[in-house]
Amino acid sequence: MNEIPKSLSRSGAALATSRRGFLIGAAGAAVYLGFVRPGFAATDLAVSPAKIFEPTIWYSIDRDGIVNVSITKAEMGQHIGTALARIVADELEADWEKVRLDYVDSDPKWGLMVTGGSWSVWQSFMPLSQAGAAGRIALIEEGAKLLHVDKATCSAKGGFVISGAKSISFGDIVARGELARTYTADELKAMPVKQASDRRLIGQDTRAIDIPSKTNGTARYGIDAEVPGMVYARPKIPPTRNGSKVASIDDTAAKSVKGYIKSIALDDPSATVPGWVMVFGESFTAAKAAADLVKVTWTSDDTAGVSEQDVQDHAAKLIADPKVGSLVVADDGVEAAFAAAKSKLEQTYTTSSVLHFQLEPINALALEKDGVFEIHTGNQWQSLILPVLAKALGVGEDKVILRTYLIGGGFGRRLNGDYAVPAALAAKAMGKPVKMVCTRADDVRFDSFRSPSVQLLRMAFGEDGKVTAMEHHAAAGWPTEVMIPSFMPKGVNDVPYDPFAISGANHWYTVGAQRVRAVSNDLANRAFRPGWLRSVGPGWTNWAVESFMDEAAHAAGVDPVAFRLRLLDGAGRNAGSAPSAVGGALRQAKVVARAAEKAGWGQALPKDTGLGIATTFGQERDMPTWVACVARVRVDRASGVVTLEKLTLAVDAGTIVDPDGALAQIEGGSLWGASMALHEGSEFAMGQLKDTNLDTYTPLRMGDVPELDIEFIPSAEMPTGLGEPATTVVGPAIGNAIFAAVGARVRHLPIRPDAVLQALKA
Amino acid sequence: MLKQSLIGLAGAFVLGLLIFVALAWRSSIAPIEPPAAASFPPDLVAKGEALAGAGNCASCHTAKDGQPFAGGYGLVTSFGTVYSSNITPDPETGIGRWSEAAFARALHDGVARSGKHLFPTFPYDHFTKIDSDDMKALYAFLMTRTPVRSEAKPNTLPFPLNIRMLQEGWKILFFRKGVFEPVAGKSDEWNRGAYLAEGLGHCGACHTPRNGLGAEKKGKTYAGATIDGWIAPALTDASTSPVAWSEAELFAYLRSGASALHGTAAGSMSDVVHDGLSKLPDADIKALAVYLADINGSSAKLAGTDAAVQKAVATSGLGFTNEPDPDARLYASACGSCHYNSGPQPLAARPELALNSALTLPEPTNFIQVVLKGVGLGEGMPNVMMPGFAQALSDDDVARLAVYLRRTRTDLPPWTDVESKVAAIRAQASAAP
Amino acid sequence: MITFQLNGKKVSLDLDGDTLLLWALRDELGLKGTKFGCGIGMCGACTVHVEGRATRSCLTPISAIDGAEITTIEGLDPAGQHPLQRAWIETQAPQCGYCQSGQIMQAASLLKDFPEPTDRDIDAVMGGNLCRCMAYVRIRKAIKLAAAELRGTDVK
Repeated sequence: MNEIPKSLSRSGAALATSRRGFLIGAAGAAVYLGFVRPGFAATDLAVSPAKIFEPTIWYSIDRDGIVNVSITKAEMGQHIGTALARIVADELEADWEKVRLDYVDSDPKWGLMVTGGSWSVWQSFMPLSQAGAAGRIALIEEGAKLLHVDKATCSAKGGFVISGAKSISFGDIVARGELARTYTADELKAMPVKQASDRRLIGQDTRAIDIPSKTNGTARYGIDAEVPGMVYARPKIPPTRNGSKVASIDDTAAKSVKGYIKSIALDDPSATVPGWVMVFGESFTAAKAAADLVKVTWTSDDTAGVSEQDVQDHAAKLIADPKVGSLVVADDGVEAAFAAAKSKLEQTYTTSSVLHFQLEPINALALEKDGVFEIHTGNQWQSLILPVLAKALGVGEDKVILRTYLIGGGFGRRLNGDYAVPAALAAKAMGKPVKMVCTRADDVRFDSFRSPSVQLLRMAFGEDGKVTAMEHHAAAGWPTEVMIPSFMPKGVNDVPYDPFAISGANHWYTVGAQRVRAVSNDLANRAFRPGWLRSVGPGWTNWAVESFMDEAAHAAGVDPVAFRLRLLDGAGRNAGSAPSAVGGALRQAKVVARAAEKAGWGQALPKDTGLGIATTFGQERDMPTWVACVARVRVDRASGVVTLEKLTLAVDAGTIVDPDGALAQIEGGSLWGASMALHEGSEFAMGQLKDTNLDTYTPLRMGDVPELDIEFIPSAEMPTGLGEPATTVVGPAIGNAIFAAVGARVRHLPIRPDAVLQALKA
Repeated sequence: MLKQSLIGLAGAFVLGLLIFVALAWRSSIAPIEPPAAASFPPDLVAKGEALAGAGNCASCHTAKDGQPFAGGYGLVTSFGTVYSSNITPDPETGIGRWSEAAFARALHDGVARSGKHLFPTFPYDHFTKIDSDDMKALYAFLMTRTPVRSEAKPNTLPFPLNIRMLQEGWKILFFRKGVFEPVAGKSDEWNRGAYLAEGLGHCGACHTPRNGLGAEKKGKTYAGATIDGWIAPALTDASTSPVAWSEAELFAYLRSGASALHGTAAGSMSDVVHDGLSKLPDADIKALAVYLADINGSSAKLAGTDAAVQKAVATSGLGFTNEPDPDARLYASACGSCHYNSGPQPLAARPELALNSALTLPEPTNFIQVVLKGVGLGEGMPNVMMPGFAQALSDDDVARLAVYLRRTRTDLPPWTDVESKVAAIRAQASAAP
Repeated sequence: MITFQLNGKKVSLDLDGDTLLLWALRDELGLKGTKFGCGIGMCGACTVHVEGRATRSCLTPISAIDGAEITTIEGLDPAGQHPLQRAWIETQAPQCGYCQSGQIMQAASLLKDFPEPTDRDIDAVMGGNLCRCMAYVRIRKAIKLAAAELRGTDVK
């Protein structure tokens, strides 16, 4: 089965069983708390607290009782710092008003640094809870001493240790006491964490700590970084993502631009930015104007002639060849079931290229200081780009630091830190700090956008319409293959596959003998750099699965909700398992039923108006977030225009740490889904994306927002992820609603009026 | 016989030529010592300042970023570019040595002090209507300006159009000399407005179409014309504005540079309002409004104002909500934030495009100009600016906006070939002198 | 030399007149709250007030604002406590936050022209401001909250 690569899978369970202890000790004016490798003692802290702690997460408490929580995750709108700090603070019994966030720079001590896959809360929940609990116990013990009471009479609450009428603040304990304590790995594992009912912060609404700065102009993003003496650079981006070489640079015309410095072709040993030319100026205004005037000629490979249709034709050809690809699910009996089928259904689904269009255009400030390269930029996956930067610069990984900034929109664009490379190379070449800023068109032309996809689905029905087998073949560009192939697990047939590009196809429906085949579109991988885009694979796999389930339901003559509920029976491998997938498919069935009920499924609707349902388990079966969505649309038969009137969503993400923040993620995610379904989608044309700015790329805006009705299923289960799942249900829910409204079946994303018109005629 | 005839013809030609030269000949008027500024009474100078405003002299007689009245502004005509002269009292390069008589002759007859014919880009065909009191005041005003030494730039008129004597022919054909005669039966206010509009204000110079020889067409007065890359809309009942140009609307527009029901003065009309008419008292603006509201027959259209406004405001919200049309989305993203109105009346600071002549004129010229260049803070409605989109939008984008708005905000036939018109105006703007 | 009032203080810039206000604010005057998003006036992240009206600073050359009064997000309220800013926090509107300076500046302009904005007014006037995180539901709610506060009434 498809799983999160083990190296990424730092779930609570994984951490708790590691052989790491927990250390509490004073250094300077504060007490530090964190996970450590075996063999360290509290007394070592005096040397350097930062060096001692190997941990992914730690925090400190100072003499004023300020709790400083280190955040190793990128802050890009999900208010992750607040959520993680709430987990620590709840167990610690800290005064929330005294909790501060420290977004840390890259350092090996943090271990893997990645923010993606909606993993953050899920990965951190257990270790952070334990870290908080360990701190609380130590504070109670020391507080009892200072209060001269038995520790058994003490409890902690709101930043105080309390014994009857006596109390002492955490700050005073730090100032007056001698907090030093170690816990062994076993002690830590046995550390009791709170029952859900005892929680004071988790599950309560709060105000995100990062928000005020985002209302008054003080929030600092990568694009805001500056250092004295820096020069600006804007790239000239070659005609193809790969395989272009600079033939000549003519900057004659640019020399008339005031503040123009020079233009150079980058020499990139990491091959991240082949064919890039950097145009330097004293100001961005100068660099931008000069770049418009610098003439570069390139020699390019055949990908300069590749367009979207070529990529899709290639995908269809690959799918038609059963020998290619990786078998991700390969049950026995698929052929037999199809051979014996009473009836069969087969459909092909396609999706177009989709841009990230994060609002902050890619940028990076790079400089060398004492032999160490500092890269100032917002990034989601420091651990991925550090080795690439080291290779590009010809230095060791210990000579590169990524400084952390807020991210003006991630959506997966900044998982791929390729934009840091040209800035670093430019700083090296210039011997001074270089701030690279891309214009919007530059940004789009360098986007690692979501690959177009082709998928073929088949279903076999036996007696009484019972589903006996299902096949899902999906071909697309594979981001993981292009950027970090070592993360690719092997399929049943020993062929590696990009787990992120096929997840979703391994759904929780019980469909008899199942086959899931993932096919890498090598033409896509060459012609552009396929990227991870919010939810990645399910962005297309779930479009296919949920559209197909609807078609299957209609083919079987069963209501689409009832059909799904019948298949979500929790049998066999769909039963679910601890820690995170307890309940399995039955929890998915519950959200489907709840969303349908809330949306008034089955009620009469006005003419040409319809309801459509779709559901998802998120990205990974290891970490399912159960979501169901009902879309209500109105279709204009004359024009094919689809009006999205309402989205009803039911979500089960286990324990909700920050309810209002969780709601914001589902609001934003579902609207992303609506935007990709109806308003976005681009086209690769002759080696480049057709749309490079908002004059032709038209994401959802204020007036496109449908009515939203979102409900979380109360749960005390392990918290899972919220940033992505809602994006993948909306497209198929809309497609299915169109069918319900006017009987037109669309099988391509985005859904354009022309396609609806055509389907109406079909 | 034939020979004789030929000789006769040649003789007739020579005779004709001699007569023409005799007719065309103008004597030079003797130069004078430049009069001292103090020799002009201040109230006369003040009156002249207002009148110079009414005549908008500074607009044409000031180069871009140049000194006021020092000339050098290039007026692009279909014949070539004609540069304005220096009308500061500089003795060498300006009009410092011009007597009042020479000055009056220039304005009344289109003849320079030296006797040279002036090109009709200088609208002496209108200025001929100026009465002698006003002429005195104008002279006083100009002769008290700071002298600026600035040589005239050579015109780019091709041969033989550059032969000034030939202007006599033009005058014989098209020029009717004479001071304004009040129209009997009209009010004093109307006649004041007519005097300003037809004379010093020279509204027709821009708003009346010209014939092949560059003269205002007879019988087409104020029918609207293309000038300097813009359309000067019709001031008659041929106006395409959805709402009547009533006296009140005209007053608001000419006084402030904008009216809520028509829009904003842009291009050179903005200069007319802010650099010119702003010098006139309210009474004169009102007189202009009275006159123009009468000749455009707005009284017949007035009754339709409310309906037109309602209709316009009803279209103002199009394009923002669940909009599938990419062109509408382009409009909503780039323009709607500032141009949307909810009614019942549009706000003046939110020019209502459905009421704007930029969308109702037969050609998209003005629409394209404004979108590309924007409207400055000092132009149109004071302290309201529109940034230019020349660097932001492609020709195709601007064309899409034009076509979309024409289709959804008016009932008029679609404009054609818009994209190439955008390209042409863009090219013209980057090549402007 | 181009001189203007910036958040109530006089500033002078010795730059080419065609330098765009956005970059002058960010790189010359150190006001980073105004953001660069699309550069073609269609995302609204760069919105500032010119003479009190929302204007896209990415399209506005500084020559066009000589002598004008400019307000940026940093100057909307000296303490960051404009009713809109408070409403933005109350509704927890920002996600990544990158567009929000522009959203707030545009909303301030909206409330001047439409003190009691309808949903249609908000759709239209805020239609030029892209929120890529799609926090639109909360932005709308925050605008109504602030509008009510400015009018001294409760949200309807």
